[in-house]
Amino acid sequence: MTERQTGGGTTEAQAAPVVLEMRGITKTFGPVKANDEVSITLHRGEILGLLGENGAGKSTLMKILYGLYKPDAGSIFIDGEEVEIHDPKDAVERGIGMVHQHFTLIPPLTVAENIVLGAEPRKGVTLDAEGAIKATEELSERYGLKVDPRSRVSHLSVGVEQRVEILKALYREARILILDEPTAVLTPQETTDLFTVLNEFVADGLSIILITHKLGELLGVSDEITIIRDGRVVDTVKTSETNERQLARLMVGRDVSLRAEKEAPKIGEPRLVAEGLVVHSHTGTVAVDGVDLEVRAGEILGVAGVDGNGQTELAEALAGMQHVETGHVHLDGEDVTSLGADDRQERGLAYIPEDRRTKGLVQDFHLYENNALKTYDEPPFSKWGWIFPNVMRRRAAENLRAYDVRPPDPDARAGSLSGGNQQKAVIARELSGDPGAIIASQPTRGVDVGAIEFIYGQLLEQRASGKAILLISLELEEVRSLSDRIVVLYAGRIVGEVSPDATDEELGLLMAGRGAEEKSA
Amino acid sequence: MSEEHREPEGAGTSTLGNMVRDAAGALVFPLIAIVFALLIGAVIVLATGNNPAAAFGSLVVGAVGSSLAIGRTLLYATPLIFTGLAVAVAFRAGLFNIGGEGQVYIGAITAAGLGVALGFLGPLGTLVVLLACILTGFLWGAIPGFLKAYFGAHEVITTIMLNFVAINLATYLALEPLSGGGLVPGTATIDPAARIPYIGLGLGRTNYGFLLALLAAVAVYLLLWRTKRGFEIRAVGLSPGAANYAGMRLGLNTVLALAIGGALAALGGGVEVLGVYGKMTIPFAANLGFNGIGVALLGRNHPVGVVLGALLFGGLTSGAQEMQFSTDVPLDLTDVLLAVILLLVTATKLVELIVGKRARALAGTRLEGSL
Amino acid sequence: MDDLFGSLGTLLASTIHNSTPLIFAALGGMFSERSGVVNIGLEGLMLISAFAGVVGAYLGNSAWVGLGTALAAGLCFALIHALMSITFEADQIISGTAINLLALGGTGFLMVEIFGGGGTSPRVEGFKEVPIPLLSNIPVIGPALFNQSLLVYLMYILVPITFFVVYNTPFGLRLRATGEVPEAVDTAGVSVTRMRYYGVALSGLLAACGGVYLSMGILSAFTENMTAGRGFIALAALIFGRWNPIGAAAAALLFGFAQAITFQISQEAIPIEFIQMLPYVLTIVVLAGFGGRAIAPAAIGKPYRKE
Repeated sequence: MTERQTGGGTTEAQAAPVVLEMRGITKTFGPVKANDEVSITLHRGEILGLLGENGAGKSTLMKILYGLYKPDAGSIFIDGEEVEIHDPKDAVERGIGMVHQHFTLIPPLTVAENIVLGAEPRKGVTLDAEGAIKATEELSERYGLKVDPRSRVSHLSVGVEQRVEILKALYREARILILDEPTAVLTPQETTDLFTVLNEFVADGLSIILITHKLGELLGVSDEITIIRDGRVVDTVKTSETNERQLARLMVGRDVSLRAEKEAPKIGEPRLVAEGLVVHSHTGTVAVDGVDLEVRAGEILGVAGVDGNGQTELAEALAGMQHVETGHVHLDGEDVTSLGADDRQERGLAYIPEDRRTKGLVQDFHLYENNALKTYDEPPFSKWGWIFPNVMRRRAAENLRAYDVRPPDPDARAGSLSGGNQQKAVIARELSGDPGAIIASQPTRGVDVGAIEFIYGQLLEQRASGKAILLISLELEEVRSLSDRIVVLYAGRIVGEVSPDATDEELGLLMAGRGAEEKSA
Repeated sequence: MSEEHREPEGAGTSTLGNMVRDAAGALVFPLIAIVFALLIGAVIVLATGNNPAAAFGSLVVGAVGSSLAIGRTLLYATPLIFTGLAVAVAFRAGLFNIGGEGQVYIGAITAAGLGVALGFLGPLGTLVVLLACILTGFLWGAIPGFLKAYFGAHEVITTIMLNFVAINLATYLALEPLSGGGLVPGTATIDPAARIPYIGLGLGRTNYGFLLALLAAVAVYLLLWRTKRGFEIRAVGLSPGAANYAGMRLGLNTVLALAIGGALAALGGGVEVLGVYGKMTIPFAANLGFNGIGVALLGRNHPVGVVLGALLFGGLTSGAQEMQFSTDVPLDLTDVLLAVILLLVTATKLVELIVGKRARALAGTRLEGSL
Repeated sequence: MDDLFGSLGTLLASTIHNSTPLIFAALGGMFSERSGVVNIGLEGLMLISAFAGVVGAYLGNSAWVGLGTALAAGLCFALIHALMSITFEADQIISGTAINLLALGGTGFLMVEIFGGGGTSPRVEGFKEVPIPLLSNIPVIGPALFNQSLLVYLMYILVPITFFVVYNTPFGLRLRATGEVPEAVDTAGVSVTRMRYYGVALSGLLAACGGVYLSMGILSAFTENMTAGRGFIALAALIFGRWNPIGAAAAALLFGFAQAITFQISQEAIPIEFIQMLPYVLTIVVLAGFGGRAIAPAAIGKPYRKE
């Protein structure tokens, strides 16, 4: 994964005709500009890398190409001809194939059946099962994607499933293949195999777009790389003319926007400790792979990293919502590994979950009910099985005002509040119980600027009063500006610890998994 | 998505204002469903060569036109309040209770059998029998709850299957061990001293069971909004993710919600036996469970709505007899109307087309957005 | 000895009589559920078709006209369910329940309007037994299996045909895919909505065959509520048979056998009601034992919404 396997390709690819051009694509979702005048060019036989962090806009761009979204502005040209793509069927007809991050395979059906679905070979009125198998075998041979056509998809490993997804696109005669974060689910060996296969595709005349945040891989296999950040194209570089540091800086660096004023830290004893934590994701793969960390009183420990590297599982495991395979969690010296979420909460652990819509709040509950979501069964809210809504209302009214929730109306339904106010309501609940340790996961996702400022203020206040705060965030600037120390999570492991003054390059490299290589070298 | 219904910043909306808005929003769907059903009904009446105005007029007369009519309406509404509550409580937990039919039979046979045995205790016996119905219904309702919580067996299928098991079981008991041996197949008649007395006042056979039904509605209200258990049940139904995050046990609440539903429906069956028939005949009252679903949906799964919905259904059923008597329109028309109402009340997209998206937002949806 | 064979023959014939409507309805339910639409309205579909068949035969003086009206009624009611559940995204369970209630009320209403009331309709020409030459002469099983109504012979051939359609045609592949992962079907360029409408429509047609057999195959008239829960037994057979046509048919056969045998066994041994309970208890056991919905088509019960 370090040096390029094939020598040639670059100059030839540039001379090749342009097979796809997206010009000035703009797409807005509500207040968010997912794509802002984005333009990319793909030559025949070229592998183009689309590099960027989460939320940068890469997936949106490709979904527009595949007909899943319609752009607000901009045009798409295929083989020089302007086209309109209304739905995936159009895209497929024009030779565009997409392998999504989340597969759409049908587990009870066989590989061959999955591949030919919708364009089945027929013998009269019957489905030509033998023909389907033969077609699969031919494609499999030709492109070096080993699959067993007769095998049921439910029996396949993720790596093989991906091959089936690719074969689906090839069966429909895709000439432009888009792969969205393909190596997220693969082992290093499978990744190498995949890249070998991609080079064979290219030799056969296919053109490929590879979406990823792993810049090391791109350096190994692509011809050109377009870097996207905050919905805009930052630059397009020839792979042979760039290096990791440059890419990392381009991917991650931005103008300083929100920096909070911090007092000098007053660090105390460790309050939240993780020891050798191993946690599985709900699909069974290892999400957290032996993590040790320590959050001390009066400090904010930031966890940086690209989405999908184990952040969610780490937060849930520390909060007591997810089972831990091995390892321990300690809270103020006590081993709480076997305790559930509500027990940990009673011992002073607050958890601001990353998903306020389906976890943090019951959208249809009133704010006073949400405020009591964890404490409804304790006095003064409850006695002998009864609950007292008016007491809840009063307490909620106080809380909502204290934490600037607008409107501070205990009877308002949570779902009627804006994102920022909903988040403040969650924080009001979690922080008002005077916790000792706080886990804040994506605390300002989808929140307006005013609320962000307020939330930062709250976290810093807690820090000043000696609480231990673990901040997990995909927003690098947020992590930088709030944390006293930063660790980077990659592939479920802590790959490095830096101070908030670390350069974009340093952080970018660690987040892309490069730092780890350096260490083990 | 929450950006769409944003409250004005800083504006305080009063509790009463919220309640009125909630109520208004909640009424949109049921009202539209009823209006449409009546329109369709009018078309059907016309097609049979009758006058819709006369037909509907006699419906109204038969429902509320005299004290006897009112009595009949209350009589028919009573069991529907119970079965409606049974469905509503389960829906609040995000579950389908289609088992009302069977649960009513369980309650009925409990009342019929035990009532005969304890008849000598008079009113005390009535009380004991009703408590027994609650108990047997609770246990019966817990079965699908348990199957769902621990085996993942979908409660729709299990409650439907259990309906037939309960009906067969009760039928066997009523025809064999507990048989009254009379001309009409069924159990023996319970001592009048132990039955629920009629209210009188010219209301015919209406008995205090109606008041019991209202009490049950109050109890359900208190349960859902004033107890710990109710808080959990509602949280689990509205957002299993958040409930889980808050440390609530999904399995336990599933079992309890269905068990409480069973207890309510069984109580309804018991009240029918003790208050109306004095015994359990075979065949016994039909469709109470299924119509309970309609009542619950029409009443938006709220006890007040359930009572109102039951009164509507009861009124239609009572009025139907008068309608058939005066205008030759078969009384089955009201069954058709009730079925149409049920269809329309759940076709949210259709109503959306008619009144636009805002009304749908007001109505507040849950259960995978389909109610 | 003769006596034993005699009763065996009667038992077999009776089993066929009881199973046929169940098998039709179960096969119908399979098409609907395989496409992802729950159909607990089989009961209503059978009932309305049983009635419509009799009306058609009465007015048109021919059993075949009756078959036509029955199929039309079944299709019509099924399409209501489809419209509500698929296009208007109503809850499928509730829609199915409403269909049942609509059929019940509707048949009651029309009984009065068309036949002037009473619990039973006038007699009509039915689909009487037609012996198949040679086959019906086989001892014991011959008369039982091959001296049956034409509708039964239809059922015989429909079972393997259904199996063939579901597992050996492109339509069947797409149908199964729609019920499992509709997104995959959508991105493959096939309309999820269209496949689901087909599935539900087929359930209406097949359930109609079952209904017609009830009113015009064994008897020759319609009685109020004559389906008496058979639609739910068919649903139970479908689940017990794991949504597979052969399995569902076999389960329906088993349940039909259970119904047939209630008339042979003396009442002292086991009360009739406990035997009638059997299909339902078995289904619950199956659901509990195999993790409930884990074996149902994965996408069943949820409306499909594009991103």
